Amino acid sequence: MKIDRRSFLSLGIGAAAGTALSPLPWKLMDDVSIWTQNWPWTPVPAAGESTYVNSVCTLCPGSCGITVRKVDDRGVKIEGMKGHPVNQGGICMLGLAGLQLLYAPDRIKTPLKRSGKRGDGNWISITWDQAISEVAGKLKELRANGQAHTVAGITGSGPNTVSRLFKRLLTAFGSPNFFTTPSMDSSYRLALQMMNGAPPDAITPGFDLENADFILSFGSGLLDGWGSPVHMFRTNTAWRKTQARVIQIEPRLSRTAAKADRWIAITPGSEAALALGIAHVLISESLYRKEFVDNYTSGFEGVVNATGELQKGFKQHVLEKFSPKTVSELTGLDPAAIILLAREFAKAKAPIALFGKGQGKQPGSMDEALSIHALNALVGVINQKGGIYALPAPDYPGWPAIPPDPIADSGVKQPRIDGASSDAFSRLNQLPSAVLSGKPYPLNALLVMEANPLYTMPDSKSVQEAFDKIPFVVSFSSFMDETARNADLILPNHVYLERHEDAPLPEGFSRPVISLSKAVFKPLYKTQHVGDTLILLAKGLGSSIAEALSWKDFDTCLKQAMGDKMDTLQKTGYWTDPNAVFPDGKMTFATPSGKFEFASSAFCPGFTPVKIEGDATYPLVLIPCDTMRLASGDTANPPFDTKIVEETILLHQASLIEINPKTALSQGLSENDRVLLQTPRGQANVLVHLEEGIMPGVIALPRGLGHTAYDDYIAGKGVNLNRLMGPVADPLSGLDAAWGIKAKLSKA
Amino acid sequence: MSNSDDKTQAVSEKTVETSDRPGGSSKGIIVLCFFIGLAASLAFGWGVFPKLLYSRKQQPIDFNHSLHAGVVSNGCESCHFLRDDGAYSGAPKLAQCIDCHQDVQGNSPEEAKFVDQYVKKGIEVPWLVYARQPACVFFSHAAHIKAAKMDCVTCHGKIGESEHLKVYEQNRISGYSRDIEGASLINMLGFKKHTWDRMKMDDCSECHQKQKAVMGSVQTQKEGCFVCHK
Amino acid sequence: MKSEQNQENTKKFGMVIDLDVCTGCGSCMVACMAENNVPFRKDESDKLKSITWMRVYKLTNGKPYPETDICYLPRPCQHCEGHEGHSPCVSVCPATATDYDMQTGIVSQIYTRCFGCRYCMAACPYHARYFNWYDPVWPKGMEKYLNPDVSVRMRGVVEKCSLCIHRYQAAKNKAFMEGKTEIEEGDYQTACTQACPAGAITFGDLNNPSHAVYKLKQQPHAFRLLERLGANPKIYYVSSREWVRRAGDNYLKNEGPAKIG
Repeated sequence: MKIDRRSFLSLGIGAAAGTALSPLPWKLMDDVSIWTQNWPWTPVPAAGESTYVNSVCTLCPGSCGITVRKVDDRGVKIEGMKGHPVNQGGICMLGLAGLQLLYAPDRIKTPLKRSGKRGDGNWISITWDQAISEVAGKLKELRANGQAHTVAGITGSGPNTVSRLFKRLLTAFGSPNFFTTPSMDSSYRLALQMMNGAPPDAITPGFDLENADFILSFGSGLLDGWGSPVHMFRTNTAWRKTQARVIQIEPRLSRTAAKADRWIAITPGSEAALALGIAHVLISESLYRKEFVDNYTSGFEGVVNATGELQKGFKQHVLEKFSPKTVSELTGLDPAAIILLAREFAKAKAPIALFGKGQGKQPGSMDEALSIHALNALVGVINQKGGIYALPAPDYPGWPAIPPDPIADSGVKQPRIDGASSDAFSRLNQLPSAVLSGKPYPLNALLVMEANPLYTMPDSKSVQEAFDKIPFVVSFSSFMDETARNADLILPNHVYLERHEDAPLPEGFSRPVISLSKAVFKPLYKTQHVGDTLILLAKGLGSSIAEALSWKDFDTCLKQAMGDKMDTLQKTGYWTDPNAVFPDGKMTFATPSGKFEFASSAFCPGFTPVKIEGDATYPLVLIPCDTMRLASGDTANPPFDTKIVEETILLHQASLIEINPKTALSQGLSENDRVLLQTPRGQANVLVHLEEGIMPGVIALPRGLGHTAYDDYIAGKGVNLNRLMGPVADPLSGLDAAWGIKAKLSKA
Repeated sequence: MSNSDDKTQAVSEKTVETSDRPGGSSKGIIVLCFFIGLAASLAFGWGVFPKLLYSRKQQPIDFNHSLHAGVVSNGCESCHFLRDDGAYSGAPKLAQCIDCHQDVQGNSPEEAKFVDQYVKKGIEVPWLVYARQPACVFFSHAAHIKAAKMDCVTCHGKIGESEHLKVYEQNRISGYSRDIEGASLINMLGFKKHTWDRMKMDDCSECHQKQKAVMGSVQTQKEGCFVCHK
Repeated sequence: MKSEQNQENTKKFGMVIDLDVCTGCGSCMVACMAENNVPFRKDESDKLKSITWMRVYKLTNGKPYPETDICYLPRPCQHCEGHEGHSPCVSVCPATATDYDMQTGIVSQIYTRCFGCRYCMAACPYHARYFNWYDPVWPKGMEKYLNPDVSVRMRGVVEKCSLCIHRYQAAKNKAFMEGKTEIEEGDYQTACTQACPAGAITFGDLNNPSHAVYKLKQQPHAFRLLERLGANPKIYYVSSREWVRRAGDNYLKNEGPAKIG
């Protein structure tokens, strides 16, 4: 039998018919369609047992209580902790995205040692033993050569136990150069020290904002991350219920300005002048609270000083120099508006004036801080309900004294490299110039903990140059940030969710609250708590240093540091003294005069404007702006938070500058034009965004973009403002007081 | 196109010319071929294909439900319990087993294997779950057991009385367990005696329509989609 | 059993969002993304391709400096009821992938059913629906935080806000364990409501007089987006500013005073 073509076709038809009558095609079609909806590469999260662990978020100084939802060992969601005194269950976008930091691909997984040139990103993994012995070896060598004081340490953490331990290590080692990261908090503390006589270790200003009913904010980003952000959001909502009024003074319609009852745009940099202009009206119209001013203040009226000269008081000073007319010229505000504002401020039951621009990450001008604080004194809200006061450091049990050691003693007696008198007001901004000039002495080693100065410090170029000059840089970072990338050794810290430590105080809050950060997760990688690293380093250094940090591990140290508060901390997650009353209403001031000092021989709030950098060739003023959606500190913005950044701030990989349409028109620019932004410190390609809500002649660029390290989800997005702006040292505090820089735009 | 058509025609004419067999016999072969094709594909489609479609996997341990059911105090829920939040715990974890199986209890080789390879090493047993619904499904055991007061047996049959675990069959394409799609081909088509014969959406829906009076879905007049989907 | 289930009250879950209180911070957006396994890519600045079930829009009054004013408006899926459940998207879906549930008032989206024709996206007046143009890919290790209660969507399907239906399912499960048939107001709250640091979002059963939303939606300044389209949405907004209320319904410049709120 021969199979011919027809038979073959017939066989085929039969097979087709049979197939059609069998489940094969139908089942296949069904299964394939199911397959297309369940692409095997689409992840299916595993189910498991849900548990909830309370801890505290330490991504910003806000210190909100958090509840982490876990499914078996995996962290699935971070929520606000119900009942926590700071945030009462609320949470912000940074806290919500915390798991993206825990599980971030750019985490440093083992100790790393640089191989090849610095900053090239070539690393070799080393063991912890090797890492500790390398650092200890280098430091020992410096110490043996009498150069203990040429080692500096930078911390970005608040005054928590790890920071105290870090400082103790440096002191025992023999270095005076312990640096904290200055912020508005530093200026506030200094103002409180000068005017209220608060002790330098008063850890932060306290604000009874819930009870205020007229909030005069001099550019404070109350809804953009100022203070403890979630607490501020809640307070803002409460203000609506109590009908408190919020007046936002800044050149740009920020989120805070948009939500305020009134937005008052003034010339940037003239805030102190406006504050004193308001003071002028209060004094000349006798609207200030005499009871307080007469009884509890000094320096309001003129005094005859020791040499017999008449020293002008605050009153005379203000009356002479800050009439509404003069202030109108400085601020661009109508004199009538200034008078009206002053009257409203004075007539409010519980008015408060606030300082600290944007998120308050910059210390700002002392002129401004003192002038604004003087306003609060004029309306008598110092240490009063709805007012402002200094919060004392919580009463920690003392650590044993550091054992005496001749090398350490002579080391810490050396002057600080930044010229500051103590580490209470360390001037990190002065570090780069000191390093570059090699004066008063060259810096030989730098240890960086929970900080990213190469990104966060102004004038990135000179900071980088200074870093290049430091022979030995150690980073304790959990992530490959800009500073870690430029280090010689990285001894990675756990991420906050893996750490057991204290978070001592929320910024911008009314009372001291200590929260306990729990190790919600077992360490994912071979990282180590930086507290343990410091203790091991001390052991490696031996002798009196090992003795000063003789704890078995950081947990033991923490337990001792917290003392009897530890039980409460472990039980409820936070500690606050229920008996302490804030504000205490006391009218005792530890100033030389024993009164609140408006002015003294050391200072007088005035207006010596912080000079803006740049000459007439730069027609525009560039100001930084903060948005809640961008973390600009040492925590990089997690992908979720960058995702919600508006396309008017970041478009594709470019930053946008905000410019008033009028200004844009005069420059011949339109929406989304690509321009070259030039300042005396640098230049960058940006896009134009026309925005009615900004003062003509002023352009704004947000902080928090332009990372160059980390991974592709963080790096290469927009411009880091610090590349374009330099620091301007405040004459009083020596801290960075720059509020803007001159700039020009040209079509790219 | 027309070119190739012409060619085909030419070829077929040629075939006819060269054919020297009588037409009848040729037809017979053609019909025979048709049936051969039909039979072969039917056999393949019904017999071979369903077997090829599923991979057959043995459970890591041949667990004896019947033996354990006799020892525990609370029936199925002793091991397959609902958590306080109403989530179903699924197959037991080692933690539940080690109370008894810290060391080998009896002389079953399966138990010895369990203790040696899993308990002692602290590795969870990778059980293959016959009735696991796909990722898009939210199935609430609490709703069925607690609110509707149903028995485990109603849906899962008498698995609690079995002495051995059956082979786990997994669809090679969709990845679904055979128990979801239907134990037999007849079941797959929707003809079934028991609830556990097939557990596809229509089966859920059928029962819900019987048991519940109010149906939420506007499009289907059945139960709302989000009752069982997530 | 049948009679017991009959007594189940018909619910209409919805929200009242106070635009005077909302600060536009965006926590709701992140809370939603973290809760609902919303993916992200390296560049998310093209908002046409960026999936945000909850999106905060910035409205401006259009006036020049310094009269400019801004209002932030969070926009989840509006869960339109339309007329008897025929919401704009449900009416057009050829795959029965999206549906309106009369029992909860929630517009469901079943990803495995959707074949990605995007007809619903065209029909939605609120741009609340998003298409997965790309495979959802998490950087290595980050898939660990995915929530098992929410399906991960695949490339080629449409997704949108579900009012955190999985939280309703979980709340009911818990209630069953406690022998209850009904859940309390606080048992089921969406992720955005829970996260909002300003407390601007209130969520609950619009049918239930004991729920906060019931009264809030009757406030004098309450309105819904594009009310005049008749989509009958279940997300209410409150604003004391008239220009915001007018913007919410696309009032023309020369049109008479707003009839709403």
